[in-house]
Amino acid sequence: MPRKPNNSRQTRTLLATLLDSRATWRHGYDLSKETGLRSGTLYPLLMRLSEQGLLESRWQEAERPGLPPRHVYRLTASGLVFAREQELVAIAAESKEALA
Amino acid sequence: MSALQGGRRLAVKLARHAALALPGARSPWAEAMRRELDYIENDRAALRWAFGCVLASYKARLTAGSSSRTRDLLRQAVASGAVMLVIGLAFLENAGGHTEPSRPAPDKPACATRNTALETGQMPPSGVAGAARDADRPAQGPETSCADPASEMRAPLTSEPSRGESR
Repeated sequence: MPRKPNNSRQTRTLLATLLDSRATWRHGYDLSKETGLRSGTLYPLLMRLSEQGLLESRWQEAERPGLPPRHVYRLTASGLVFAREQELVAIAAESKEALA
Repeated sequence: MSALQGGRRLAVKLARHAALALPGARSPWAEAMRRELDYIENDRAALRWAFGCVLASYKARLTAGSSSRTRDLLRQAVASGAVMLVIGLAFLENAGGHTEPSRPAPDKPACATRNTALETGQMPPSGVAGAARDADRPAQGPETSCADPASEMRAPLTSEPSRGESR
């Protein structure tokens, strides 16, 4: 049976984090600290979500002088819809488990 | 040079390697990972981050490779597998004709052993043997399944006088 796309625990964690801060652009290292995902896991997920059109990215100038611009991320409109759907699915699964 | 500075240098080198390992189309991602390193103050955390970057690059490289190269390899493997299957089936079919189970050998009748004994000359003279055979034989009709070839040879001899009588 083929695995459902974007259904892993790590992806759901990342989507939930991005959904919580939907209005703000997030750095990779910040996302790593908040989700607990290492860079080796986080960046492949970010790349995949970006390729699927669920995530947008841009370069942001550094606030402190002497530091390079950073790559920042946030969910696109379709990414927001998808993240909400995933959140609902997770809530439904949790309530099912609680009832069982 | 302290160990921590060495760790930072190693982290930078690893991040550079990760950038090189990543496929060309994803170079902005390599740059993003490498630049993030400058914002990590802890050297140990920077090293962990860099290791993760290398891992991410190789993952991305494998994923990118799987789309074209792996698909071609898979196609070739399936094609050669199909050819091998056809050849194997053909061999099986041919082998099936040769390995047909042989029919079970029927038990030799008693007369067969007698005939062989006659051929080898181990039996008593034919008159005695013939008398014994005639005594064993039923009165009506000769035994067809195990007919004595000698009696077949005798039959025309006995019929000749009768033919002569008719004349």
